[in-house]
Order: sequence, then C-alpha cells, then structure tokens
Amino acid sequence: MNALDLLLSLSALMLLAAFLFGQTRVYPWLAGILFTGQLVLLAGSDLPMAAGVGLEIFGQQVGWQLDGFGRYFALITIGAALASNVYMGGEWGERYQADGHSLRWLHAALAGNVLAMLLLLSSKDLIAFFIGWELTSWAGFLLMAQGGERALRAALRYVPYAMGGAMAVLGGLVLTLSWTGTLDLLELSRVMSTLGNGQLALLLALFAIGFSIKMGLLPFHLWQAPAYAEAAGPGTAFLGAISARMGLFALGILLVKLMTLSRVADLAFIDGLFTARDLLAWVAALTIVLPTFTALKQNDARYLLAWHGIGQGGYMLLGIVMGDATGSAGGLLHVFNYATYQAALVLAVFAVMHRTGTADLNSLGGLVTRMPLTFLVMLLGIIGLAGLPPMNGFVSKWLVYRSLMVEGRPLLFLMTVIGTLGTILSVYKLIHNTFLGQLRAEHEHIREAPWSMTVPMLALVILAFVTGVAPGLALSWVAEAQAALGLPVLAYTLGGIESPRGSLDMLWIVGVLFAGFGIGALLFYGAGGRSKRVHQLDNYAGGHFLSADVRYHYSDHFYAGLMHRIGPLYRGSFTWLESAVASATDLAASLMQAWYRQAVPALTLLVAAVLGLGWMVWR
Amino acid sequence: MMHILIELAVMPLVAFTIGMFMVLMMRKIAAKIQRRVGPPLLQPLYDIVKLYAKKTQSSHGLLHDIGIVMAVGGYIAAETMLPVPGMNGIADKAGLLTLAYVTMIPSLGLALGVGQCANPNGSIGIARALTAMLAYDIPFVVIIFGASWFYGSNNLIEVIAAQQAGGIASWGVTKMPLLAIAGLFTLYAMLGKQPFEIYVAPAEIATGPMVEMGGKHLGGLFVMQCFQLFTASAVYVSMFLGGGENWLFFILKLFAVVAIPMSMAFVFPRYRTEDVLAVVWRWPMVLGLAGVWLVMH
Amino acid sequence: MSTLQSIPVVATKAEKPSGGTGNLLANVFDELTAFCRSRSLFMLHYCTGCGAIELPPAMTSRFDMERLGIQPMVTPRQADILLVTGYVSTKTLKRIILTYEQMNSPKYVIGICSCTVNGGMYWQSYATAKVLADYMPVDMYIAGCMPRPEAVISGLRELMANIRAGRSDNWRDYYRRYDHYLGNQQRLFGENWQTPTDVIGEARHYGQFGPETLGEHTALLERHQTPLLPFEMRLGLGGEKTGVENKGDKR
Repeated sequence: MNALDLLLSLSALMLLAAFLFGQTRVYPWLAGILFTGQLVLLAGSDLPMAAGVGLEIFGQQVGWQLDGFGRYFALITIGAALASNVYMGGEWGERYQADGHSLRWLHAALAGNVLAMLLLLSSKDLIAFFIGWELTSWAGFLLMAQGGERALRAALRYVPYAMGGAMAVLGGLVLTLSWTGTLDLLELSRVMSTLGNGQLALLLALFAIGFSIKMGLLPFHLWQAPAYAEAAGPGTAFLGAISARMGLFALGILLVKLMTLSRVADLAFIDGLFTARDLLAWVAALTIVLPTFTALKQNDARYLLAWHGIGQGGYMLLGIVMGDATGSAGGLLHVFNYATYQAALVLAVFAVMHRTGTADLNSLGGLVTRMPLTFLVMLLGIIGLAGLPPMNGFVSKWLVYRSLMVEGRPLLFLMTVIGTLGTILSVYKLIHNTFLGQLRAEHEHIREAPWSMTVPMLALVILAFVTGVAPGLALSWVAEAQAALGLPVLAYTLGGIESPRGSLDMLWIVGVLFAGFGIGALLFYGAGGRSKRVHQLDNYAGGHFLSADVRYHYSDHFYAGLMHRIGPLYRGSFTWLESAVASATDLAASLMQAWYRQAVPALTLLVAAVLGLGWMVWR
Repeated sequence: MMHILIELAVMPLVAFTIGMFMVLMMRKIAAKIQRRVGPPLLQPLYDIVKLYAKKTQSSHGLLHDIGIVMAVGGYIAAETMLPVPGMNGIADKAGLLTLAYVTMIPSLGLALGVGQCANPNGSIGIARALTAMLAYDIPFVVIIFGASWFYGSNNLIEVIAAQQAGGIASWGVTKMPLLAIAGLFTLYAMLGKQPFEIYVAPAEIATGPMVEMGGKHLGGLFVMQCFQLFTASAVYVSMFLGGGENWLFFILKLFAVVAIPMSMAFVFPRYRTEDVLAVVWRWPMVLGLAGVWLVMH
Repeated sequence: MSTLQSIPVVATKAEKPSGGTGNLLANVFDELTAFCRSRSLFMLHYCTGCGAIELPPAMTSRFDMERLGIQPMVTPRQADILLVTGYVSTKTLKRIILTYEQMNSPKYVIGICSCTVNGGMYWQSYATAKVLADYMPVDMYIAGCMPRPEAVISGLRELMANIRAGRSDNWRDYYRRYDHYLGNQQRLFGENWQTPTDVIGEARHYGQFGPETLGEHTALLERHQTPLLPFEMRLGLGGEKTGVENKGDKR
C-alpha cells in the first residue's frame, strides 16, 4: 500500500467513522488525529504520489495520481477541514445538536467533502476527474444543506447550476474522447493543443462553463453567496476556504496543462486585440470588482464574507491567466492565503453568532471588550482579506499586481486595485459594526468564545501572519505546483522576491513596521501624559446626556455618500438574467408539456413513433 | 548594517521635522489668503508638546490607544521606504506599490481607534475618509502604473536615478506631463483640505475621526498629519520632480508641491461626499488614463 | 454679590516644579510644557448668548487670534479653554457642566459678558444661573455688555500670562473641592443630578484628591448614581453557559 492509497483510505475511514459515531465526543479527537496524520503524510511524501489501484471502464484506464499542483490544493483542503473539525468538536457542536440538528451528518458531510476533493485532486484521467467532480459537487451540496431550512433552500439553488455544469463538463469529455481518442491527462496534454481552433474553442467553452460554475465566476456566481453563507458554521468556513477552489484547480489543469495558455491566446475574437485569454482575464477582473461591491452592500456578516469569497477567486484566476512566473505564483499563492484568513473570518463571525445569536451587522457593536480574541482574529483576518501588509493576502495580491504591471495591462491592474479598495471599505464596515462602536446593553454580559472555537481561529490567523512575514514558506509549495502544471517557476526568497524591477522583502517591511509601532508606542505611552478609561456614554454629543436606552451608534447605510454616487449602478442584472433563464426554461417546459399532454396526445404520440421508426429505418 | 540602522532612525525624524514646517506653511498660507498674520514659527511644535503634556486624558479603551500607536508607527515605518538625498533606507526592498499599501496601515489604525470611541460622528468621519480614499487611490494607482511602466521599475531608487541622469529634461514632469498633472490633482485630494475635507467637516460631524481625540491621542494625529504631508509630497517629488539631488533642492521641491494645492484650498467651501467621487473619478482619472496610454504607445 | 470684587474668583498657588530645584532637566521640561501650554490654546466657544458675536472678529483678519496660538476647536476633548459667552440658563448650565467635565486638564474657563459674572441683565430671571463660578472654577472673567474684541484679546493674553507663570491652575480646584461645586449644582438641578463623567474617580486616578473632594453632596450623588465604569477587556474563556447569553440559533 503506497502513500496515496493510505491517504485515500484514511479519508474513507473517516467518512465511515463519521457516519457511525460522528455525534460522540470521541470522534472530533479521532478526526483531528487522522487529519493531522493526512497532513503529515501529504507533506512528507515524494511526488508524484500514484495510487496502487486502478480501474478499467469501457476500455478506458481510470487511475489516481497526485502531483505538486494537486498536493498544494490537498494540503489546503485538509488544513481547512482540520480547523473546522476542531471548531465544531466542542461547545459549538453541542449547541448545534441541542438546537435539533444532526452533528453526525455534519461531520460526515465534512469528511465526505475531503474524500471527494482528494479523489478529484489526484485524478489521473478525465474519467477519474469527472467522478471526483461529481462527488465533490454532491458532497458540497450535502454540506451546504446542513443546518436548517434556509440552508437547504439556498443549497437547492445550487443544484440546477451544478447539474448544468456537470452536463457541460460531460459534453466536453465526450467530445474530447471522440476527437483525441484518449482521456488520460498526460496524453491529452500532448494532444489537445494540436486540435483545430474551432474544436478547441468548443471544448474551452464547455469545460470553462462547467468549472466556472463551481468557482463562482461571473455570470455563474449567484448561487454561491447564499449557499455558503447559510450553511452551518464550520461548514461555511470549509466551503468558503477551499470548496470553490476546485473550480480553479480544474481551470488550471484545463488552461495551462491541457490546452496551454498560448493556444488559448490563439482563439481570437478580434484578431490580435481580444482573445479567449483576454476574455478569461476580464471575466476574472469583473469577478473581482462586481461581487466585492455587492459585498459592500450586505448587512449580514456571513453574506458579506461569502460575496468576498467570490470576488477573491478573481485574483486567483487572473494570476493564472497572466501565465508568467510572478502572476501565476500570485494567483496560486492566493488560494492558500485566502483559505487561511477566510476560514478564520468565517469562524470568527460564527463565534459572534454563537454568543449573540445574530450576524446582522445592524444589531451588533462594541464587542471588542467582550470578545477580544475573536476581535483579534477578525482584525488580522480583514487585514489579510483587504490585502494590506503584514498579512499574507498582501503578498499574493502584490505578485498579481506586479505581473499586471510588468505585462502592461493597465485596465486589468486598475480593476484589481478597485477590488482591493472596495474590500477595505467593506471589511471595515464588518469589523466596525461587529466589534467597534457602542456596546449594546443586552450584550454587556457576553463572554469570549470557548477555547475549542478560539484556538482554531487563532491558529489560522497566526498561519496567515507567519506566511505573510515569510512568504517563502508557502511559495515553496507554489513553486512545486507551478512546476507540476508546466508554468514558469517563480524564483523566490524567504521574504518574497528579488528582482531588478522592484523587489519585495516582507521580512524587512514587517520588521520596520513593527519597529515603527514600537516607537509609536514609546511616544504614546512614554511621552504622553496619563490617561483614564472612560465609559462609552461619557462621549461627545453636543452637550447631550447619553443614556444606554438610546443607541448612539452608526451602522446602517454605512457608506451613504458612496452609495449616493454608485448606488444607481446596482441594477441586479445577474439576478434578472438568472430569473430570465429560469422562466424561459419554465416556459419551454410547459410548452412541451402542453404539446405532449394537452393538445392532441394521440396524434403527437403517433407522429413521434413514426418519426422514430423512420429515423431508425433510414439509418 | 549599522549604516542602515542609522538611516532607519534618521529618516522618520527628518520627515517629521519637514512635515511640521509644512503644517506651518499650510496655516500661514491660509492666514495670508485671509489677510491674517498667522501662527508663529514653532506653532505646530507648541501644539504637539501641549497635547502630549495634558495632565488628564480620556481614553475609550485599549484599541483607542493602539489605533494612535498604529497611526504614528505606520508612518514612521513608511518613511524608511522613501528615499531622501543620501539615504535610501529599505526603499530597495519595498517598491512604490508596497509604499502605497503600507501608508494604508496608519489609516486603518486610526479607523480602529476612532471606532472604539463609540461616537457616531467619528464613525461617519471614517466612512467618509475611506470613501475619499477609494476616490483618490484609483487615479493614484493609475499614475503609479504609468510611472513604473515608464521607468521600467517600481523601485523608487531607480526611478529617481533615471530622472537625475539627464537633468530637468528627464524628469517625470517633462516626460509624462499628463500624469504629472493628474498626480498633482490626486495629491490635492489626498491632502484632504478644502474642498476635499469631507471627513473632517467641523460644523457638520464635529471633526469626524477627531471627535473624541484629546491629549496625546490628538497629539498623535497631529504628528501623523506631519508625516502624511511629507509622504505625499515626497512620493510626488520622487515620481515626477527628479527626487532630491541635494537637500536644498529636495526641500524646495517638497514645499512647492504642497504649496500649490494649498494656495487653492482655502478659498473653497466643502464638497459633498458624492461630489468628491465625481470630480476625482473624472478629471485625474481621464488625465491619468490618457497619460498611461501616451506612455505605453 | 452685587459688586465685582465680591465674586469668588478662585486662584490657587502655582504648582511646584516636580523635580525640585536640583533636577535641571525636569525644570527645563516643565518650563517647556508651561510655555507650550500658554502658546497653544484650543478653545471651545460655548455660545450661549450675545457675547458670541464678538468672537468672529477676534478670530478673523482684524484681530487674528491664531498669531497667539489660539484656535477654535469643536469638541470638549480637544479643547483647553471653555468660553462661556453670555447668560447661562439652568438648562444650558447642565450642558456646560458636562462639557467642562469632558475636557482634558489643564483646562481653563473664561466667562465673557456681565451675565456670567453676576447675571447681568438677567439678574431677575428665575431660570438663569447668575454666577458661573459657583458651578465650576472660572479662570478669567471678561466683563462688559458685550466686551469688544480688543477686550477679549487682552483677556486671553492675560490668561496666557497666567498659564505661563503657573498661576492659572483652577482645574485642580474642581477636583479638590468637588463637593462644593456639586452642592451648588444639586441645589439648582435637584438631588438626583449626575453627569456620565466620573469626577471622583478621576480625582483619585490623577492624585488630585483633596479634603473637600468628598462630602455630604457626593454622598448624595453616590446614592442616586448609576455608576458608569468603563468596559474593560475581558477574556472570560470557558464553556459553561450563563443565564444571560442568548441562544445561538440561526434565524
């Protein structure tokens, strides 16, 4: 039994264990140990890891093998699952059960997701890939649907999208087989780029639509925010951190390994001006901007983060589509970075929900004195999400910016920066409305979340901070993934990159930043006079006497001036498009129904039978 | 190593001193426009010393304090990434783009500190300040893009060296006049004086972020303002005016860059937030994009 | 109290330099801060009455306060001087006291116009607090109905000289004789009068406690007060549930 077999069987064992005794207190410990074991196994094994077993279906070999690219995603998957598992292993899980939900199913769904993703990530050919793809979709649905009726309803919206995507992928698969005669990924990487432009374009369209749906790229993103936001807490964290990135994994394989980016750039809409590659880059850029500004309007912390999750996916795809060493490293690094802080942020929001019962940004405030650790997690998390130093989110975004600057793409660069600035606005609203401002009277007795919840959150943000100070740690994995995919490999240092066109050394930057904070603290506490803490109601209100029963807090319509300017741009076009497609499908279905069943059923049946017979005879 | 440590200590000090005189110049310009005498030479220093030496001070909590520490400390760090004559600090390890993002750290610190004051005037002020940042940073990054494309690097040391190689003829302002104009406009908005002072708005939201700041908290903000003026003008001088050949010219350029917008500022009333967005997204943006197009073709 | 001389203007002795005469550095430091304090005054003008109209000329191009380092500010936290520019009605006085208590020391109160001195033309009004100094220590009166900007400027210059010489330290008096001021306030506003500020706690924190800080009036205050202690950060980690926290169910 080799390493990949062991990994997959451990994962399957966990799924079984979760089904059997997921609700017990023992299971989280067992799962924690097994997840850690898987992480160690993954990190320690030589690449590529090939599975010992294989199948043969319809004369096609089906096998599994994990390369550097897959391992990079697998590490993130298992890490995110580990954090979620610890989080729901303690008080959160007890409350979840007490509220009448099934913790066993939640654990099983999480374990199932990990297994499905591992299968997908280690697929060696398109059949294994499709099996993994479908398993991932359905396991994802299972996780989304846990935790109440709203979750189920949001998850159901995902189903038609997933089915549509699966059909597109299946169609692409069949066409690939009939045009190239093989489904083996290695074989395909040699053959597929030799196909004609028309064939390639069709394959690209089919596969890319299927993969974009999973990733939540525009215009297929509408299902994602509610489905992720309404799921049960740790499920949301896991889904948000990595689930959608399976789409990116698939797109990476398709665009870089199978078709190669230069072939994609040959598929021109306008010769030399706008190619399929530009289209993908622009889809990625719009995916950054539009969902980010949708997030800005959200009043529910979970939805706000889920919308940002869609937006951040754009940076990753954009980096990969740029295709140079810096850009693709930035895009890939962002997968890891984003997973660390997004999981932490979601868990922090659910910790607040655990204590206060709400994630509504208009009914919280001032919690920093009551939940300081959760605040710290959210603070570091939003610095990462906004992409500011010293957190790791800055490094990956910086690499993407650098690539766009060097490649000379001013408009795409502008879009990425607009996305970042919009994120800064939105995350400040998140932390302000939750933790800053006035503490509500009913929250005065709130306590910090228990250790079982704070420890995984803190571990995640510490990881995000450490890989921000020393990005070289994570870049080693990224370089491996780049090599496995056939991308140019980034030459990195421990602190970032060194280049004559502008280097980045986070070790120095963070060192100087903290030295600056130290001097600032010295000035403030040393040179400044004594101060005394005052109560929040001892506050300026133009001489008015404040009292606890009247709220003195600003949360609603937070960016009023901005919305006055950009508000009319929110037209809900995608929602309109979605409902238009849905009603068109509805209409077509009822027309068919009317034709078959109401109009003249006997005649219709006769015509259909005759035509069918005729077709068979004529063939 | 010793050499760089000394630079790291001296650069923020120099920046603070120059920034303090910029504050003085700003107030003097306002006074002259209004036909007043204006404050004495060391007035900014008096203000800061007095504020730090207040005998009773009120704080709204740990974060209120930390916010100010971050606001001052972040700028102290940022100054070491800005080359001045004879000193490069760590400018080679952090380019122009990194600098632009590092200078957001103090704003974030301030925003956190203000948030804990639990005063809605402060929160409105921060909401407006962030909106203003969204307004001026968009043209600003377009300008950064154009400049780094032109010089082929976003390392400020090389940008300055490239300009100093050929005298005024190779300065950014002669090579990329459109970007330089857009940059000046953006700088004006960045300084946050009339008509762009939407987030201070004394008569409307009671000085916004500063509403609950007194004593060393307010003193910290005064220090931050000195750094802010220096940073904004030094970035502009490094990108477009050839940086500093020597200290005399460097300081002259710095003061000139601040003086131009300030001579216009004090005759204006205040824009509304949405109008700031409209004006900043229109003129510097159009000029900046046109400038980038010219630079790239 | 019909003559100006009988108005109780409180003036305390200058504070001794902290390091004593031996410590030159501390002396220099104290001198520097005293100088800066006198040359940088942020004022909050609480414009209660007609005297306010004399301030704009004092601030703008004709007399230009900024050349003396005096600037208008907006909120009590930022200000050093509280300018009360006219008659003080009972209702207004509550706000003035709150504003005064929210200011950071050293802080100075200037009463402009006769109304703050002795009620002025509102002498017979039932709703006007006549002597401002009964309710808070006043550092400087600028009498007149109304005083001209020259008078305002000269009054401010005198205050500057007092600060420079360390003669204007009345903010300590409010802490040291809080019971006295509180008593006068209670007489006017009733016995359940209180502000959200914690003057006694501050007196304790900054070592400004005097023999008259506490007394019968503060005892009365403590009976009625709903104490407003600042929220300290607390970790309070743990699993057990408390009665007050809400159920974490998702809506």
